[in-house]
Amino acid sequence: MIEVSQLAKNYGTFAAVKDLSLVVRPGEVLGLVGPNGAGKTSTLRCLAGIIPATRGQIRIAGHDLAVDPVAAKRALAFFPDEPRLFDYLTVRQHLAFVARIYGVPDHESIAQPLLEEFEIAEKADQLPGELSRGMKQKLAIACGLLHQPSVLFFDEPLTGLDPLGIRRMKNSIISRARAGAAIVLSSHLLHLLEEVCTHVLILKRGEKIADGTLAEVGARFSPGTATVNLEEVFIRATGGTED
Amino acid sequence: MLDALIYLRLTSAKNWVLARVRRLRQPKYLIGAVVGFGYFYFFFFRGLGPPATPRNLNPQALQALEAAQAQVPANWLPAMTALGALGLLAILTLMWLVPAQRAALGFTEAEIAFLFPAPIKRTALVHFRLLSAQLRSLVGALVMTLFTHRATILGGNAFTHAVGWWLVFSSLSLHFSGAQFTLTQWAEKGAVLWRRRLVIGAAIAGVAGVTLYRISSGPLASAPAVEAGLRPLAELAIALADTAPLAWLLTPIQLVVTPFLALDATAFLKAIGPAIAMVGLHYLWVVRRAVAFEDAAVDYAQQRAARIAARHAGRSPGAAWAKGRNGPFRLPGTGRPEIAFLWKNLLSTWPYFTGRVWLGAAALTVAGCIWLDRQTIIPELATGAAVPLVIFAAYVLIVGPQFARQDIRSDLGHADILKTYPLAGWQIVLGELLTPAVLLTGIMWLLLLAIAILLRPEAGAEGAHTLAAHTTGAIVLALLTPALALLQLLVPNAAALVFPSWFHATRTRGGGPEVMGQRMIFFFAQLLTMVAALLPAGAVAAATVLALHWLIGLAPALAIAGLTGLAVLVGEVWCGVWWLGGRFEKLDLSAELRS
Repeated sequence: MIEVSQLAKNYGTFAAVKDLSLVVRPGEVLGLVGPNGAGKTSTLRCLAGIIPATRGQIRIAGHDLAVDPVAAKRALAFFPDEPRLFDYLTVRQHLAFVARIYGVPDHESIAQPLLEEFEIAEKADQLPGELSRGMKQKLAIACGLLHQPSVLFFDEPLTGLDPLGIRRMKNSIISRARAGAAIVLSSHLLHLLEEVCTHVLILKRGEKIADGTLAEVGARFSPGTATVNLEEVFIRATGGTED
Repeated sequence: MLDALIYLRLTSAKNWVLARVRRLRQPKYLIGAVVGFGYFYFFFFRGLGPPATPRNLNPQALQALEAAQAQVPANWLPAMTALGALGLLAILTLMWLVPAQRAALGFTEAEIAFLFPAPIKRTALVHFRLLSAQLRSLVGALVMTLFTHRATILGGNAFTHAVGWWLVFSSLSLHFSGAQFTLTQWAEKGAVLWRRRLVIGAAIAGVAGVTLYRISSGPLASAPAVEAGLRPLAELAIALADTAPLAWLLTPIQLVVTPFLALDATAFLKAIGPAIAMVGLHYLWVVRRAVAFEDAAVDYAQQRAARIAARHAGRSPGAAWAKGRNGPFRLPGTGRPEIAFLWKNLLSTWPYFTGRVWLGAAALTVAGCIWLDRQTIIPELATGAAVPLVIFAAYVLIVGPQFARQDIRSDLGHADILKTYPLAGWQIVLGELLTPAVLLTGIMWLLLLAIAILLRPEAGAEGAHTLAAHTTGAIVLALLTPALALLQLLVPNAAALVFPSWFHATRTRGGGPEVMGQRMIFFFAQLLTMVAALLPAGAVAAATVLALHWLIGLAPALAIAGLTGLAVLVGEVWCGVWWLGGRFEKLDLSAELRS
């Protein structure tokens, strides 16, 4: 479970995130949307404990991220938009390293199915330099899932994946949510969010414009329409135009 | 068309300079520039004028100074010319033996994107690259002149040295291109790589063999009037340059070297014509040999872009060619997480940094040092060999952390991932410091082992030079080494965490004096911090030895002093790791790099 209260993030005098509050319960997938510079990545980085929040409280799986960051981080996984891998560790060695960091006993039995799920088992002894962009992304995801986190943060998770990889990634997110994980993902691919997310939060210039279930947000910005079109909702909510 | 390409090169160079001037508005670059230019002025430019005669020197000191500034005797020139030519011949030989790929000419990705599809003849592209290479040769010549102009044994002046260096670099650059084109042509005609290397290697070996045979069967060239120690080397160099068939290869090379070694203006003017003719002949050779280089150029540009991107991201450029290998030891899923960083970072080093290799090196060190100690051919050889080892040990301890960088400095690009790990900041910092500390300690222990054996006191020695005191001292130093290495490593890692934007700037390649100045600031700050950190431990240890050695003898006093000093150092390291851990937890890289 993710509980965020009055989160603010400033860079000097620039406020990237302003008084953001949200709750993501087990089984829910929150889609974080907003125009470029809205504060999505800053929000995700604060939630994952990568950068300190200027103000506010973040609780991950019941642990206050500021008070007990180690316990909070043990429960979460963060997936950046660009896979950041260690140049000299093979695919298998990445998983061994992450297993030791998170203290995963008998990690081989968990790692192998993950490698097969993401179709990188054949590349297990190769270095990142020998992998395609999509393969690297899959490896980063496998590393994040190794310790079976209950909270997942995805920053543009589909970047660099092929169509089949996108399909698998979507299914993977949905199945993990069904298994009880609380998930936040940011993406500009609004049709992905429509398919995967149970909830959506729209940010603009660091401020929350709207949040709720897809139906709730749709009803607020596209009243009277039978089906929710997130693209339409996004444009109306952020005050943008198609031109 | 060539004028457009020259415009591209000159405009790029101008903008490079302007960009560097503009960024001096940032204090970190301005301070670095002041330090960098100050260094250049005091160590290089100030010496470009005529040497000033120091005032207030007594006649003996003045005489000694004049002797030290004396030029090389004229009868030494043939030997120096021959040695220079032999050195260049070795480089040229490698140019023919080593290349395994087609001629690429070293275009950048942008040059390929813009110039290759453009209506430009291949010859114009070749000229463009050759001119670019000449510019690099010119810059290299100017830099080398700053170094060599201070060598008072050389004749000539700054101008003749600069021209001399340019002729050498220019010839090497052109020869490299010519050799690559020729090798590519041979490859197109079906020459297999290993066969080509075998033939060239055999030819060079044949020439060297015949020459040496002829020298050994005849009288050596007349020896120059020099000290006895260097005479055999000079005799051999002159003989090699004068004896066919090696002389045939060395004669044109000597023409290129001669202007640099010219003692005066007349000698320089006599030598400059043939040397320029050699450069011109090389130029014609390259232009006439130019083969299809486009495919190889694209591959080369991609590799180069990958190297630059890796360097900018704080990663090792070598990663582009690395192959996966087994871990240095088995890493179970449970246990101290800091060990995972040691395991990971050891994988990014050379594969022969293993315990087994260290043990082998230690065995060889012991055997070699015992042999040196017992040999009777050269007296005092063991002591003489220990001196450079002591200097090298000090170098490893002080400068080693600048090379062993498998720590936070190389992982700063992964900071956002590391911060998601369920670890306290001090655990990440400690884990990151382990690999360079282990590497430096391993090297230092080998050096200490060698020094301890080579400087072993005679049996029955008394006073402070007993075997017991000597051995205790060596063991104490070995025990202190890991703490000293960690202490040394804390400083550059602290710099990376406390001043990430400064640190990031020092990683910029191709920077000017401002970046060099920044590096110097970091280095001197490290030295000062190290001295300050060593003072408490040194004071405690010294006080312990002074207080106890009257009571319990020197060796036990050294042992206790070493342990108390170690306790202080460990305390300092722990405080440093704990503090840096806090800094790491608070690090907001995105905010730091915005400024």
